[in-house]
Amino acid sequence: MTKDFLSTVKRRVVIFDGGMGSMLIAAGLTQREVPEAWVLGKSEKIAEVHAAYLAAGAQVVTTATFGASRLKLQSSEAGKRLDPEKVNEKAVEIASAAVQHSGKHDRFIAGDIGPTGLFFPPVGQLKAEEARAAFKEQAKALDRGGVDMFIIETMYDIREAVEALRAVKEVSGLPAVATLTFDKKPRGFFTMMGDAPEDAIEALLKEGASVVGANCTLQSGDMIALAEEFRLLSDAPLIFQPNAGRPVMEHGMAVYKQRPQDFAQDAVRIVAAGASAVGGCCGTTPDFIREVHSALIHGK
Amino acid sequence: MQAFLDSCAKAVLEGDADKAEKLAREAFDKKYPLLEVIEKGFVEGIREVGRLWEEGILFLPELVMGAEAMKRAMGVLHPALAKGGDRPKSLGHVVIGTIEGDIHDIGKTLVATMLAANGFEITDLGADVPALRFVDEAEKKGAGCIAISALLTTTMSGQKRVVEELKKRSLRGTVKIMVGGAPCSEEWAREIGADGYAGDAIAAVSLAQRLIGAR
Repeated sequence: MTKDFLSTVKRRVVIFDGGMGSMLIAAGLTQREVPEAWVLGKSEKIAEVHAAYLAAGAQVVTTATFGASRLKLQSSEAGKRLDPEKVNEKAVEIASAAVQHSGKHDRFIAGDIGPTGLFFPPVGQLKAEEARAAFKEQAKALDRGGVDMFIIETMYDIREAVEALRAVKEVSGLPAVATLTFDKKPRGFFTMMGDAPEDAIEALLKEGASVVGANCTLQSGDMIALAEEFRLLSDAPLIFQPNAGRPVMEHGMAVYKQRPQDFAQDAVRIVAAGASAVGGCCGTTPDFIREVHSALIHGK
Repeated sequence: MQAFLDSCAKAVLEGDADKAEKLAREAFDKKYPLLEVIEKGFVEGIREVGRLWEEGILFLPELVMGAEAMKRAMGVLHPALAKGGDRPKSLGHVVIGTIEGDIHDIGKTLVATMLAANGFEITDLGADVPALRFVDEAEKKGAGCIAISALLTTTMSGQKRVVEELKKRSLRGTVKIMVGGAPCSEEWAREIGADGYAGDAIAAVSLAQRLIGAR
């Protein structure tokens, strides 16, 4: 049986998992390390996070490959030592094993592709072909590893999201979810580069994204308003993955204070606004996904 | 003259670096009062860029382009002024850098560029700068302010070390400290005894003006 994410998300609301990076930091990942190093060196820690999200009711498991493109890895000392292909393939293997283990064989594995961290002109010198090549290498390895779908996320520049989508489409026929990260400005929601939701939706759908939406930066309350705006602009399946509120600093550590129940209530409103999929981003944990699951499935 | 000043402001606002440089040369060739050209022309432009950024009308690309245009114009006008023995009015000297262990450069560089564009003298130490080096440089340059960027929760404690080192050298009274970067906040600035926090490059300019700007 091949798993068809597209027909599923058109039929019913799909619950994605929550934050991976913040979970690994809680498990002891230091700022001198990168999560991708744990994929190769401490795979059991990644597996534990996947298992916890699966048990909480996540229907999609996102691979720990957010920063596993060659360009992103090369930007840090810890990342430089890692082989992008190995990291991506291994991450899919870990996610697959977690799904196997859970006995929930209908769960999807989404190959995660995050931004390179570099900027296109005029802010930086990133070239479209450079970005495409790095994403293509990553997408190929994820595809080879056996993902069911792709999720391109947290993009702050439409141009980079487009290059990632093109790369995915060049190497695979699997469906792709694509999200940008928007901030709330006095005149509405915009990415750091000034991209508006309508431009994002149009560009991402044109490049073949099956599901579009937003993640990170915003807390769940603000994400409701953004979901409503997206719904007015498009009939496409939509996804939103907010953060667990705004982080506050406590003893030099970033702490997310939102309660899982409150996040879940907002997730219900995001779905009511028209989202086909919801999940969490920074600071969310399996508790958040459990609450979302129970609020959406059991209506409590 | 006003039309010329307006076109200087416009070149910066539109992020047209070639035009800004050309106008700066024209001002020099035609012996216009250069300080006035800077203050009432180019600086007006960068102020407008800042205002529109705060209103959410301009974004990062426009901010970077406006700052670049400003930099190109000043690249012509500064040496010209120095040659004439006429020093451009400096609002003060700021030593800026990203703290040790932290390689994030973009935000810090943007703050440095905007501060320079608004009339501050800048010593940019780059990224991964040890706490002691901030203080050494500030002492050497007689800087009125140190601006420290930290993008990681694990490196931000380095900002505190700069404050402590200044105290140790009894410079805390003469050198102000401003902090910035994703994990920082007003509370954090207070907690470590810094003089202020700025959330973006535009806020950093207002803060620096408040802390050491003479105007």
